[in-house]
Formats: sequence, C-alpha cells, structure tokens
Amino acid sequence: MNKFKILDSLIKLIFYLTLVIGMFFENNLAQNTTDFCLKCHKANGDKAAVMFTKDIHYEMGVSCADCHGGDQSKSNMGEAMSEKNNFIGVPKGNRISELCSQCHSDEYQNLINSVHGKLTIKGDQIITQCITCHGIHNILRKEDKNSNVNALNVAKICAGCHSNIAYIKKYNPELPTDQYEKYLTSKHGILNSKKDPKAASCVSCHGSHEIRNVNDVKSKVYASNLPEVCSVCHSDSQYMKDYKIPTDQYDKYIGSVHGIALLKKGDLAAPSCNDCHGNHGAAPPGVESISKVCGICHALNAELFAKSPHKKAFDTLNKPECETCHGNHEIIVGTDQLIGNTKGTICYQCHNENQNVEGFIVAGKMRAILDSLVKLEETTVKLITDAEQKGMEVSEAKFKLRDIRQAKLETRTIIHAFNFDTFEKTSNNALSLIYDVKSLGEKAVNEYYFRRWGLLAATAIISVLAITLFIYIKKLEKKSNGK
Amino acid sequence: MKPNIWRRFYYWLDERIQFEDLIRFAAKKYVPVHSHSLWYYFGGVTLFLFIIQVVTGILLLLYYKGNEDLAFESIRYIMTEVEFGWLIRSIHSWSANLMILAAFIHMFSVFFTKAYRKPREITWLTGMVMLFLALGFGFSGYLLPWNELAFFATKVGTDIVGVIPLIGKPIQIFLRGGEDVTGATLSRFFGFHVAILPGIFTIFLFIHLLLVQRQGMSLPMEIVPEKAMKTMPFFPNFLLRDLLLWLIVLNILAILAVLYPWELGVKADPFAPAPAGIKPEWYFMFMFQTLKYIPAHIWIFDGEVVGVLLFIIAGVLWTLIPFWDKKTARGEKNLLINYLGLFCILYIILLTILGYLS
Repeated sequence: MNKFKILDSLIKLIFYLTLVIGMFFENNLAQNTTDFCLKCHKANGDKAAVMFTKDIHYEMGVSCADCHGGDQSKSNMGEAMSEKNNFIGVPKGNRISELCSQCHSDEYQNLINSVHGKLTIKGDQIITQCITCHGIHNILRKEDKNSNVNALNVAKICAGCHSNIAYIKKYNPELPTDQYEKYLTSKHGILNSKKDPKAASCVSCHGSHEIRNVNDVKSKVYASNLPEVCSVCHSDSQYMKDYKIPTDQYDKYIGSVHGIALLKKGDLAAPSCNDCHGNHGAAPPGVESISKVCGICHALNAELFAKSPHKKAFDTLNKPECETCHGNHEIIVGTDQLIGNTKGTICYQCHNENQNVEGFIVAGKMRAILDSLVKLEETTVKLITDAEQKGMEVSEAKFKLRDIRQAKLETRTIIHAFNFDTFEKTSNNALSLIYDVKSLGEKAVNEYYFRRWGLLAATAIISVLAITLFIYIKKLEKKSNGK
Repeated sequence: MKPNIWRRFYYWLDERIQFEDLIRFAAKKYVPVHSHSLWYYFGGVTLFLFIIQVVTGILLLLYYKGNEDLAFESIRYIMTEVEFGWLIRSIHSWSANLMILAAFIHMFSVFFTKAYRKPREITWLTGMVMLFLALGFGFSGYLLPWNELAFFATKVGTDIVGVIPLIGKPIQIFLRGGEDVTGATLSRFFGFHVAILPGIFTIFLFIHLLLVQRQGMSLPMEIVPEKAMKTMPFFPNFLLRDLLLWLIVLNILAILAVLYPWELGVKADPFAPAPAGIKPEWYFMFMFQTLKYIPAHIWIFDGEVVGVLLFIIAGVLWTLIPFWDKKTARGEKNLLINYLGLFCILYIILLTILGYLS
C-alpha cells in the first residue's frame, strides 16, 4: 500500500517538475528568439519596419511573419522567406482583411456584413479593407491621439474616400460627397476641430465596422433608429454637462406628434432629429431659419405664415416662428383648443383684453367658427350613420364626408395666414360642404319615413282590394250555389 | 234601348276578333274542388311573380349598364337617384326569390299529386325546363350588380360547372367568356338574363299554359272522379281567387321590398382576395353544401366530380319521372315515389340550413 503511495507521489513530482521546467524554457526561448525579419528590415532602413516598432501589434507580440508569412527565426533570408515556410509577401485584396480576421474575427464579420464589405466594382475585393481606415504598420490604439481612428482624426480618414468625387462615383453615384465639408460647419465638427474628443464624429452615429446603408433597417442611422442614436449622448446629462444644453429632447420627441408617427406608427415620412437639425451639418435651427425647417414638410403653412401679419411681429419680437406656438421637440397634435381668446389658448399669450385687442377678437371668432364646424360635422356624421343603420343607401354621402375632412383641414391650415377674411372664405367652403352632405343625410332619413308611410298606404290599398275581392268572390259563389 | 258605349265597343271588337268563341270555351271550363285544391294556385302565383319580374326587369333595363366599369355604379344610381329605383330593384330581387320558391312548391305539389302522369307528361317536362331556366335566371342575375359576393359566388359556381367530365371545361369557358370571371362574363350573363333566357322561357311558358288550358286541372290519384263532384267555374270564380292570392303575394312582396331592401354590397375587385363567407343563392345552397361534405376522393374518382355527376343524374331522373314511374302511369298507388319526394324535400331543407349555419 505504502509502495503505491510513494510511486504515486513520485509520478506527480516528475509531472509538475517537467511542466515548470518546460514553461521556463519556453518563455526564455521566446524572449531570446531574434525576429530576423524586423532586424534586417530595420537595419536596411525599411520605413515599414521602423514604423512597426511603434505599432500596437508589435507591442502585443505580433511579428512580421504573422501577417506576411515566413519564419522570423531564420537568419537566412532565402530560408526565412521561402515558400516552404509559407511566406506570402505583401498580402493583396481581401487576403489583407482575412489575415486581420485571424485575431479580430468579430470586427471582420461586421465589416463583411457592412456596406463597405458588400460594395465592389470588379467583384474581386471589397472596397474597404481593415488597413483603409486603420493604416498599415502604424496602427495605434484608438485612444491614442495619433491613431487614424481616434475621435479627432476619424472624420478625416472617412473623408479620404467620401469627399473624393471620382472615387465615390464609381461605387455609388447617388451618394453626396460634401459630408465632411458640412461636418466641419456643424456643432459637432466645430467642437471636434477644437480637439473635443466628446464631440460626435462619423463613427458616433454610423458605427465603425458595422456601417450599413441608411435605407437598411439595421443601420444605426435608419430613420426610426436615429433618435435613439442621438439620444445616446444628448440624453446623457453627465456626458452633456459641459455643453449646458438640455438633455430632455429625446423624451419630449418620443411623445410628440412626430415621434409617435415615426417610432410608434412606423411612418418613415415623419421627421427624425436630422430632418430638422441636419445630419452631417447638424446644428440647432436659429430663430430666423426655424420656419424654413418646418416649411420643408409644412410648406403651405410656412408660405401662409410668411405673408401673414405675424411674420413681422415675430421678427420684431425675435420670436421663433413655428416654435412659439407649437413648441419644438414636444410638438403635439394641433387641435382647435390651441386657438381662441380664453386663458390656456396660445393666442391669449399675446392677445388679451388689454393688449393687441384686435387679434383677441379675431381669435375668438376663428375659434367659434372652428367649433361650429366640428359640431356640424359631428351632427352630419350622426345623421349619415343613422340613415345607414336604417338601411338607406348613403355611400355618396359617406364619400363626401372625406371632402368635409379635407375642407376642415384646409380651414385649420389657413389659420396660419392670420387673416380673418381668408379664413372666413375657406371656412364657408367647408360649411357649405357640410350642409350639402347634411341635406343628403336628411333626404335619406326623410326618404326612409316616406317609404314606411308609402308601404303603409300601399298595403292598406292592396288589403282593401283583396278584402273587397274576397267579399265579391263569396257573394259570387253564394249566388252560384243558390242556382 | 240603345246599348252604352262599352257595349258598343265590345260588339265592335267581337265582330273582328270573335270573342264569343273564347268566352264559350272559358265558360265550359271547370276546376275541381277538393281537399288539395289549394295547390292549384301555385302555378298562378309563379306566373304572377314572373310577370312582375318582366315588368321590373324592363324598368331596370332603362338604367342598368352591363359593363364591368359601370354595372355597380348604375345599380347604385338606380337605388339612389332614380325615382322609386330602389323599390323596383328591391321588388325585382325579392320577386325573383319568391318566384323560385313558388316554382319549387308548384313542382313538388305536382309531384306529390302525381299530376305528371299521362296525359300531362309534356306539361311536366315544360315545367321542369322552366324551373331550370328560372335557376339560370337567378344565377345570371346574381352577377349583374357586379358586387364582391356575386363575383366570387359566380367564380365558385362556374368552377363547379368546370369539373363535369369532357363537357365541363368548354361550358365553363362559354359561360365565362374566357378562362376567368371578367367583364366578358358580365356581358354574357347580362345577355343570358335579359334576352336568351326570357326568349326560351316564353316559348316554354306558352306551351305550358296552352297545355294546362287544353287539359284542365289534374285530379290527385286518391280522389276518385264522381259525376256529382264539386267544381267551380274557371271564369270568373277560379280566376278571381287567383287574383286574390296575387294581391296577397303583392302585399308580402311590398313589405319585404320596403322593410328589407336588397343590399348592393361592395364593388367587385377581381384582384382582391375572396372574402370570407361566400355563399350561393339559397336555392343552390343544398348542392353547394353537399359538395363540401363529399370527400376529396371517392375510390379513384374526384369527389367533386362524383357529386356534380350525381346531381345531374338526379335532375335528369326527376325530370323524366313520368316515363319511368310505370306504376303511377297504370293508375296504381306508388308510395315509393312519395317517400322519394319526401326525402328530397327534407334533404334540401336540411342541407340548406346546414349551409347557412356553417
């Protein structure tokens, strides 16, 4: 028993000793092994070799042979760079990124799924290899200010291709090439130029290896994904504290009419952050330009406002045009309750019993007309529904209800002209449409009762005829039976 | 005393048309009075409803447009803009259904009273042809408003016709005016409904009425003709009773047409998917439901083909009953025929109910 115990302990001791000695020799060998590739190329003044000594990969123990193949331990050049030792020389085309993927597999996977990994002209290689952005032999940590992909440098790297008209035209002729130019004028670009690493650069919004086409639903800058991307920085009060701007824009936006349309209803025509602020040239629209921004979509409203008496007044008071009444990020659905001359309405903020009285009166009149339109429309819809439930054919009237909705919308739009005569004319058109449809509804309901009474009269006449005939037949039969 | 103006007008006409012969013929006509006399009136009711169909159909023709783009709109126009157009259309639709109901009742009453037996075999045959024509009227008229339900029901109906071996496909293409139900089908059905079917129907109706007048009313087999049997003069007594029933039917028709106006539905869209709950007219429901119950394959045959062929064979046998019911022809009681008729009625009622419940 004891013999076995001793033998067991001896075997274990030999095993551990072998392990420790092995490890010692391996480390020693690695440290002492000379990288002849680097040694010779450096001695020859090869720029690449000199640069590589500052490369992060060198620092991490990656040798020349790891990318170029060959055997760095051989001092004989022919042997070191022989085919037998898998020497490949300068990697070409997709082989470059494939070599990087040996260690950076996730990044490579993202790259080949990205727009850069899919676009190609000849089909022999993807348009962007790892080295296109990261450089060769001088790759540094992204936190290093000299790194190509450092927050302060990356925009220039992207611009290398994206501002090159001739180059971009080959791959995507539709793609603009002024992004970098615009970026430099944006708030983000200005801060970036001032060496603020927190300011957004290309990769902050587009991502890095995983960049996708803007129309790709997985793209970070796809319309409905964008607000959340912006909110990463703009809703982070700690991150934004140096800039002294609010951080509640995203929260307000998601509850706004635009946010609900885009994010909840999936209406891609609804504006996202970039539609008002610009994307590459992102900047808050100023007092002067806000109506131009809103006017991109609300063209008619903007045009009416520009001609309205409010334009001059707002300009004088230095008030932003649309924003003053509708707000900015938190824009709610425009309702009739916004207009009027009572407390709580927007008009009342400037027009009340004591100041700007003319506007106060007009606002009251407009509201009264709007209310009557709504009330009349409700009555008409009820009437048509009633007629339909009575089994009457009212498809034409129902179709015309759409015209009423359109006319009501026009009336609400014309408010932006802030001219009572124009408003009255438009509202009269809506009113006359409502009266037309109402009369169709009334006609249908009257027709219903007419039919009921007509039926009663007809059945009464037919019944009288039938009874008379019955009596006559009975009389006739009695007479013939009597014979 | 000088005769009044009406009398004189009558004499004037009589000199030219010889009314007296007709009156003498009518005066000699008597209708037997017995416990089953009520059934005599259903032929008249069917005729009355047919007349209503003709009159209202002509009025609808004044505005209807048998075209894929305009059919639906023209019916809507009739229902909303034309004075009493809604009433005419509603009466036409209700009357069509009541006419088929009356025709079925008439047919079964003739069947159970064995009135098809010699010498009335041709009367029965013409009647059966008219019943099939009336179903054809119903099928073709159903499509004319060009609404969603009618469109898909016609598609299903003509699909069923297409499964008949050998002749099914050519008939289907003939009915549809092509491979699918399209505007060409509508034009075709319109032609069938207002020209071809009425033309053929009128010929058979004329023969049918002529034979009824020539042969008089048939006595049910169980009633033994006696010399002192109670009768009633055809003119004016029976005719006035007919008229009385017509007035009652007219009243029912008016109530139905006003209280339950026939709906127009949604315009047909050939590219839209078929809506749920497509059902044929009630008089085709028992056949439709039967085809639904038949398994996809019966032995080596297609289930639907077997079903359609069975209905065709049953229809032919039913039509030819005066020729194979030899027992009745000999004047003997044939209870088997009664049970067969009863089975058919129960089958039709049950399958129709199941069709509407499913």
